[in-house]
Amino acid sequence: MPALIEIKNVSKIYATSDERPTWALQDVSVDIERGEFICAIGPSGCGKTTLLNIIGGFIEPTEGTARRNGEIIDKPGPDRGVVFQEYALFAWLSARENIEFAMRLKGVPKKERRERSDRYLEMIGLKRAADRYPGELSGGMRQRVAVARALINEPEILLMDEPFAAVDAMTRATLQEELLKLWQGLNLSVLFITHNIEEAVFLSTRIVVMTPHPGKIKTVVPVDLPFPRDRGSPEFGAVYARVNKAFHS
Amino acid sequence: MSVEHDADHWAREEERFLRALQAAKRRRILVQLALNALGIVLFLLAWEMSPRIIPWLNPILFPPPTETLHALQELIDSGELVNGIAISLRRALIGFVIGSLLGILVGLLSGQIAAIQYLTDPLLHGFRAIPAIALVPLSLLWFGIGEASKVALIAWGAFYPVWLNTYTGVRNVPDALHRSAASLGALPHQAMFLVVLPASLPFILVGLRQAVGIALIVLVAAELAGSSSGVGYLIATSHQLFRVDIMFVGIATLGFLGFMVDRLFALAQTYFFPWYTGAK
Repeated sequence: MPALIEIKNVSKIYATSDERPTWALQDVSVDIERGEFICAIGPSGCGKTTLLNIIGGFIEPTEGTARRNGEIIDKPGPDRGVVFQEYALFAWLSARENIEFAMRLKGVPKKERRERSDRYLEMIGLKRAADRYPGELSGGMRQRVAVARALINEPEILLMDEPFAAVDAMTRATLQEELLKLWQGLNLSVLFITHNIEEAVFLSTRIVVMTPHPGKIKTVVPVDLPFPRDRGSPEFGAVYARVNKAFHS
Repeated sequence: MSVEHDADHWAREEERFLRALQAAKRRRILVQLALNALGIVLFLLAWEMSPRIIPWLNPILFPPPTETLHALQELIDSGELVNGIAISLRRALIGFVIGSLLGILVGLLSGQIAAIQYLTDPLLHGFRAIPAIALVPLSLLWFGIGEASKVALIAWGAFYPVWLNTYTGVRNVPDALHRSAASLGALPHQAMFLVVLPASLPFILVGLRQAVGIALIVLVAAELAGSSSGVGYLIATSHQLFRVDIMFVGIATLGFLGFMVDRLFALAQTYFFPWYTGAK
């Protein structure tokens, strides 16, 4: 059985604004197995978002292949849920309508839509805010809605592009714990982009450390700590130190 | 030794504070309204007095408010005014709706599909530079003195701001929205109407509001130049009859209509798009 996501020798070239060719990715190979929680971490320009966009089917690699279940990825699809950093909710739809959007596209009857969105609203603890518009929700609530909207299609993998970067530290810690619960409860795979080492160590089963110019994978650090993780424990500190060293050397 | 106040004390203080706050607010509003009214009264007074005390001001050419009111009464009684307003508004509305729908459609298509944009850009920007009023005589020749010429002109004028703002709105839809729609399974036409169109609405509304203003201007220009009904026609005929009082009524009516339509537009906006004012 092929890996859920197989990235093989993927490179991506693009032109900067002054028309110089730049490699966002060069010869990147990585597999994502079912049930894995992978964090891609690195400074800006290391190609971590490009990697996510290729797996999401939003852009094509210049060279190499990206496969899902053995098949070439050539377009976005509901099998891969995506959560962006911010401003990706539909501002003209309430929280509930945002979550129901995918079902509306498929013509699911209203009653069934409601039942399912109720379940997901419950899951993210926002049942009471169901009829509020994104502009009336806090940053943390908005990202919870974005996660529920992506999960309603029951994707195999959730692609998250620095989803908690714009919320305050307290909210971020809560969102991280909630995400871990969802991941464990739903038997998901997650690719999580971040530039925060602590976040990566707290969440992932494997950390892909990337470097810029050109974008490459520097090293992959497995994280074997049991969940829930204690940020103050010496084991946590040891992994943090390892990632930090790879990040900064 | 210091004594701590009890809960009652704080509650009383709070109540007194709130009462004072509300009283101050009421006073401010009253003063504001009084000054608003005073401004209007002073203006009317000056207008009423000037033909009487300024010797070179001809009361026929500069009728005071009382006489203008008489003319208003006259026009209401004869049904001319209500009839004229109805006819003018109908023209403006039909032209506005046609022009706006076309503007939204072309804006959506040219914003989404580069080939359509390149194909239409030079033409539309060229035509946009022509003041719509310059086309009034042409429109009368082509479409006659009836409804078609007015509606066509108004639609023409209303089209451009709606098209341009819709286009800008479509181009400003963030990548993350396009990508969210695609990854949730939206087909291109679903993304267009369920995501791109509503996401561009704040811009489209700006265009529609500009189009309302332009529709009224073009309407009057067309009615002044050649028509047999409407508020503009009322003004044109009173000109020939030397009835400046009727002319004043027509002009004031246009101002009032413009104001009301704009207010109505703002109301409709908050009613139909609650998320728009709620959004940051």
